[in-house]
Amino acid sequence: MLFLALASACTRRPPAAPPSNDLLIVGYDREPDTLNRFSTHILEDIQTCVVEGLTTTDENMKVIPLLARDVPTVDNGGVKTRSDGGMDVIWKLRPGITWHDGVPFTSADVKFTVDAINSPSYNPESTDGFDRITSVDTPDPLTAVVHYKEIYAPYDIQFIRGTLPKHLLEGRDIDRAQDYNRSPLGTGPYRVAEWKAGEYILLERVPRYWQGDGLPRIRRLMFKFVANTNTRINQLKSGEVHVVALVPWDKYREIATMPSIVVNRTPGNAYEHVTLNERQFAPFADVRIRRALIMALDRELFVKTILDGLAPVTHGAIQPRSWAYTDRITRYPFDPAKARALLDEAGWTIGANGIRRRDGRPLAFTLITQAGYAIRENVAQAIERQLRDVGVDVRVELHDGTAISAIWFEGKFDAMLHWWQMPSDPELTTFFAADRTPPAGRNINYYRNEELTRLLYASDRTIDRQERTTLLQRAQTLIAEEVPEIPLYSVTRLDAVPASLRHFKGNPTNTGIFWNVYEWEISK
Amino acid sequence: MIGFLGRRCLQAVPLLFVISALVFLLIHAAPGGPLAIYLSNPNIRAEDIDRLRRALGLDRPLWEQYVAWLAAFVRGDWGYSFSDGRPVATRIAERLPATLELISVAMAGATSLALPIGVAAAAGRGRWFDRLLTGASLAGISLPAFWFGLLLQIVFSIGLGWLPSSGRATPTGGDLVDRLQHLVLPAAVLAIVQAAAWSRYLRGSMIATLRQPFIAAARARGVPGRRVLLRHALRHAIGPLLAIVMVDAALLVSGAVVTESVFAWPGLGSLFTEALARRDYTVLMALLMLSSSAVVLFNIVADAVHACVDPRVVLAW
Repeated sequence: MLFLALASACTRRPPAAPPSNDLLIVGYDREPDTLNRFSTHILEDIQTCVVEGLTTTDENMKVIPLLARDVPTVDNGGVKTRSDGGMDVIWKLRPGITWHDGVPFTSADVKFTVDAINSPSYNPESTDGFDRITSVDTPDPLTAVVHYKEIYAPYDIQFIRGTLPKHLLEGRDIDRAQDYNRSPLGTGPYRVAEWKAGEYILLERVPRYWQGDGLPRIRRLMFKFVANTNTRINQLKSGEVHVVALVPWDKYREIATMPSIVVNRTPGNAYEHVTLNERQFAPFADVRIRRALIMALDRELFVKTILDGLAPVTHGAIQPRSWAYTDRITRYPFDPAKARALLDEAGWTIGANGIRRRDGRPLAFTLITQAGYAIRENVAQAIERQLRDVGVDVRVELHDGTAISAIWFEGKFDAMLHWWQMPSDPELTTFFAADRTPPAGRNINYYRNEELTRLLYASDRTIDRQERTTLLQRAQTLIAEEVPEIPLYSVTRLDAVPASLRHFKGNPTNTGIFWNVYEWEISK
Repeated sequence: MIGFLGRRCLQAVPLLFVISALVFLLIHAAPGGPLAIYLSNPNIRAEDIDRLRRALGLDRPLWEQYVAWLAAFVRGDWGYSFSDGRPVATRIAERLPATLELISVAMAGATSLALPIGVAAAAGRGRWFDRLLTGASLAGISLPAFWFGLLLQIVFSIGLGWLPSSGRATPTGGDLVDRLQHLVLPAAVLAIVQAAAWSRYLRGSMIATLRQPFIAAARARGVPGRRVLLRHALRHAIGPLLAIVMVDAALLVSGAVVTESVFAWPGLGSLFTEALARRDYTVLMALLMLSSSAVVLFNIVADAVHACVDPRVVLAW
């Protein structure tokens, strides 16, 4: 031990290599299971650099064309509704694109992807959307006509994950195609150079990337797997990694003062809220109770103190970045007096120990949340405290990430402090429609409202942007009045990048910060 | 001795069967499963989950899953990982060298610390340096590896810049010196915590030995103090310590779960943490059977070694 320490101390350690256009090192929080974007939808940052979709979402959550020439719409003739209730989407592909092995990218790859995903011999994470496609025609190598059996509103992001290369994967067991799953064939600015299990994935730039000569500017990207958050931040401080995405808010102050780092704040498309399971805890079915709870919480105070002002209070499931967002909805101020009045009106009177009772039962429930997030644990305790002030007894319970998913999926909880990463398409049906409780959807409030359900399904069944906006705005208004859940704050993304990095544009969606990595450049 | 070893090995077989069943039940009892991680994806539907469940064989009754796993396992087929679909044996084989490296260096370090500390504390029993060493050992045993590891990172890596904070080597080219530098901090955490415990055992064992009549006899014969301590007393006192060291050596195969996480060390300990979070049952079963077998085996070896070193120990099962 001493010998080792001496030996290493004698060799003065060179300082960690700073970021350069030769190599940029990213501290990543988990090793991906696979780089096949269809097999698993989690952790897609690395894949985004290698496999490109027909469209992508930019920093404003707008759907923009990538491998497609433009986004098909009704106006440009790219989308046609049929008399049988179905629709056809015509994708025109950009000419001259080749896979990294030189084979041209064509509409046959689009057709192959749909057939593969819908085939029983392959197990992608989800066939959502694809299962509504009846067939794909390929009249020429640059045109794919996708036939849907019904109106499918998010058709424009159907191929956001890209396509599977037909010439490589046709006739093969894709689940076991480890050559593809460990090093996918794509059209993007990078390809996988090395995957050292448990340690890192190294990407290197491809010679003739179609977006332009000289792009991408950074030659190599390395994703180092550092699971422990504290260790990852320590690596950032010691310069061993240059980029860390999704910095936890409680670490912000530690790194905000580093001169070599810039912490980008991107308003996110996720929102934290308190889920109120009215199936398990009957008092939540009373709208007066729900309104009382939201008015008993000083959300502005939470944001200012626990969240260090890093995230804004939110009042609904759709965030300001979305085209469907409206702010003309009921907002509940912090008003404990009004909360108490509502609870009294609902028949819950204060008992001897300060907790309200009715018919011999106390107004007491358990609030669960995921362990390991300091911010969330603090918010849960603050909620416990503020609700106690109005006579509601809350017990906080922490669970690990995997256990909690199983718990809420089975609906075995009273209330949960939770966040949803909302998809870029503002569909709310799976979260609030009466028939979309698990396993059919994510309505884990078990909230049933016929009017709301009708509005949400109607908004799914049209592709007319105006009509959808109107319907979704009415849905937001209704949700705000009824408070099936308590929205807390909008999740701001914090991404730490080198101060010398140019052209970084964050991204609020799951597309992730590497969506425009081909433009990035380290300047001196 | 041979008879003893043979009997103990035979005994180990039913023991390992029982362990495998218990472990299987335990990991399935934890809420959630390999599919839980997909549930946060709002686009996953009931049909998708059913399909994935069938593909992984999780729709079969539990006893059937256990029997299928067992039948394959004893044939040497460790199955495929639920997370990435690669063979479990491959995933374990690629991480084993890192763990072997870390644990063997840590144990060598712990031994080289524990021996002098244990002997010196026993020799100077009651004196100031015994009290100092006892206090230090207590501190070492009480140190949470998690906190201690992060502290070392902050001091030696961020503060002084002498050592890298984590990982096994600098990714873009690590020569031997670079790899040694990466080894220092995680090995130090493990070595210090282990040495603290071991030195206490040794001290106790040495004190008991030093009270024996043969020690007084050796001194009376004029044997110099140093030789009495090392040649006569240590040889007898080291038996129990060796037994402890052998049992701790099972770490070589189970990996140091906390330390590997804190230092992003790509060994079996961090593989276990990841597999546990993902409820990757096939990987978990393989890892747990591997470490259970190691513990059972090393226990047998510890008893045998103890008997070799100390002829007073009679091997009975």
